[in-house]
Amino acid sequence: MARNSHEKRAERQWLLILLPSLVLLLAFVIYPALYSIYLSFTNEALTGAAALRPRFVGLRNYTRLFNDAKFWNSLFVTFVFVIGSAVIGQFVLGLISAVALRRPIRFRRVFSSIILLPNAAPEVVAGFMWISMLAGGDNATLSRIVSFFGITPADWLQVFPLSMIIVVNTWRGIATAMILLTAGLSTIPAEIYEAARMDGATPSQMFRRITLPLMMPTILLYMLISAVSTIAVFGLVYALTRGGPGGATEVVSIYIYNQSFTAFQLGYGAAVAVVALVISLILGIAYVRAMKVEV
Amino acid sequence: MKKMVLGGLCAVLLSAVSTLAQAETIRIANHGQAGIDAMKSTVERIEKKYGVTVEVIEYPAPDKDYLTKLLTELGAGNAPDLFSIPTTAAVSDMVEAGYLAPVTKEFKAWDGYANLYDVAKELAVSPDGETYVMPFMLGIQEIYYRKDVLEKAGISTEQPKTWQELLDRAAEIKQKTGAYGLLFPAGVSWGSGAFDEGFQHLLVGSKTPQLVDADGKLDLNGEGIKDVFGVYKELIDKDLMPTQPLLGPEPWVVPKYQMFPEGKLAATTCGSWCYIFDWGRESKNPIPDVTKVVGTWTVPGQSSGQYVLANLAAPWAVNSKSANTELAIKALMEIGSIETQVSYAARIGNIPASKGAADNAEFQKLTELVPIHAAAGNGVFLKQASGFGTVSEGVARATEALLRKETDAAGAQKILVDYVKETLGDDMVK
Repeated sequence: MARNSHEKRAERQWLLILLPSLVLLLAFVIYPALYSIYLSFTNEALTGAAALRPRFVGLRNYTRLFNDAKFWNSLFVTFVFVIGSAVIGQFVLGLISAVALRRPIRFRRVFSSIILLPNAAPEVVAGFMWISMLAGGDNATLSRIVSFFGITPADWLQVFPLSMIIVVNTWRGIATAMILLTAGLSTIPAEIYEAARMDGATPSQMFRRITLPLMMPTILLYMLISAVSTIAVFGLVYALTRGGPGGATEVVSIYIYNQSFTAFQLGYGAAVAVVALVISLILGIAYVRAMKVEV
Repeated sequence: MKKMVLGGLCAVLLSAVSTLAQAETIRIANHGQAGIDAMKSTVERIEKKYGVTVEVIEYPAPDKDYLTKLLTELGAGNAPDLFSIPTTAAVSDMVEAGYLAPVTKEFKAWDGYANLYDVAKELAVSPDGETYVMPFMLGIQEIYYRKDVLEKAGISTEQPKTWQELLDRAAEIKQKTGAYGLLFPAGVSWGSGAFDEGFQHLLVGSKTPQLVDADGKLDLNGEGIKDVFGVYKELIDKDLMPTQPLLGPEPWVVPKYQMFPEGKLAATTCGSWCYIFDWGRESKNPIPDVTKVVGTWTVPGQSSGQYVLANLAAPWAVNSKSANTELAIKALMEIGSIETQVSYAARIGNIPASKGAADNAEFQKLTELVPIHAAAGNGVFLKQASGFGTVSEGVARATEALLRKETDAAGAQKILVDYVKETLGDDMVK
């Protein structure tokens, strides 16, 4: 009996400790999310008659959304952006960096610092920094560099807009990938590699047969975090291209912003946001299932 | 108990005092540093005359960002008491949203009212017949061209009489000088400029020169709209207009501040501000002897006529939810003084809407603006209607598709119509 009351008191104490976080979560995550869902069923706007008298419009925003070519374009652009920068760019380069920096090489700390630096710059700052590299045609830093090698300069953000934002986001995200994957690598016992080496396994075989399979939970976790955070990237793309030219880099987050704060259609913007949320949830569920398979 | 009552009374008193103190402060949203500088003496005058504190808040400089911030704050109910509206296309929609306090009575009773150009008064009237915005400054727009570049190449600087003549002149410029012949702001990144500084110029001289029918419905299927997009199409297809810079995040920078001063772009639509702000003494890249080497053409009509576009340049309005609307309206009238109008003209290059500014010694020093001011009364304009903000965005999208060579004139018109219908509903469009 006494133990029970002790447990209850401990539970209350935990609840008290959790309370501030729960209140913040409710105020800044749960309530806005629920409110967005509510907004998505209205014609709420920032201007015009709908701002004064918003009405419930049922599923109109959702039916409009599924017939909206610009929305589908934004999903496609987001998909390419996530695959290009999170799955291929950040993961591959992050893994290479993690594996390379695990070895006792010279200037290891210097390389680590260089790789970590981009992550220190906020999204928007990184975006503006890269504008000077990419925009401005002949005057862009990249143009000057490629001219040296005899390549015709271009306004890179105009000619290869999506590729360029993939490159910049990859540059920013390598550090996160490297840190997570290094943590995963460190969990693999050195003895396994030692035994494989004694059995005559090549580095490539060790990578394929030992590193990759044992790293799979970390890789999946990284993929989830990276995909969800890439779907949410806003500042970087906004600073670089604002979704242009012609919607070529209009990822879902930019599309939501454009609908809500350029076209001022809050209801419709909310509907797009809800769909984006559902997509992120599906990714999360897929990850949990994949983890179960691994276990 | 006594202590509790006393405490309660003190709290009520404190709250009343703080409310009163709040009412004595007027918050003014201003648009960039030039606007804040222009308002300095006016702010001091308002503070002195009405015994209030004026808090001036600088809003983001690009019009699009400014409007977004302003509308967000108005929607949330925490916007400033007084603000300028960066594009007239937004005014009717803001009136419909209930954001603006009507000022018809005060405006007509204001001692500067009779002195305003008629076009300014007409522009200030909303579709419901009331006035919500103060038309203190006008944006007078025409086509500005590089007289020196044309003369050097032996190209006529005569006023083009029709759209075709204008297009032919642009083609001749390209052929003889290699420079781009004509620029109309276009595309999504340019924001409201694609409509205000581009599309409107041609539409007013087209076969269907207005966008609103007698019932106030948007008439977007008119032949004139397709013809206007046809002009863009020809300019783009024949490479007479620069397109790549217009697709970037700051599309005005390269053509207006680099190509035009360098003579690589020979003609562009612009407003009176260009002689001061874009290429004149306030410019980062000024053109020497700007008024001599840069001439102006009125915009020719499709088959005849000459058009000078008059817009309200960032008209001022009072927040309908202001804590002290009466005081805010009084402050609004102070912004209308000729002194403030001239101050704005000197820094931003807009035209005072008061005819009396012509007699102001400071204004007379602005020799670039004096002739434009004298002719300001001849300006034409599009009748405003609710939904214009959406039309403006639709025009930006349609012209962007043209810039990217994804559509033709009819396709661009369809993009505009579809966008407005999707956003506002089918019943808003005729």
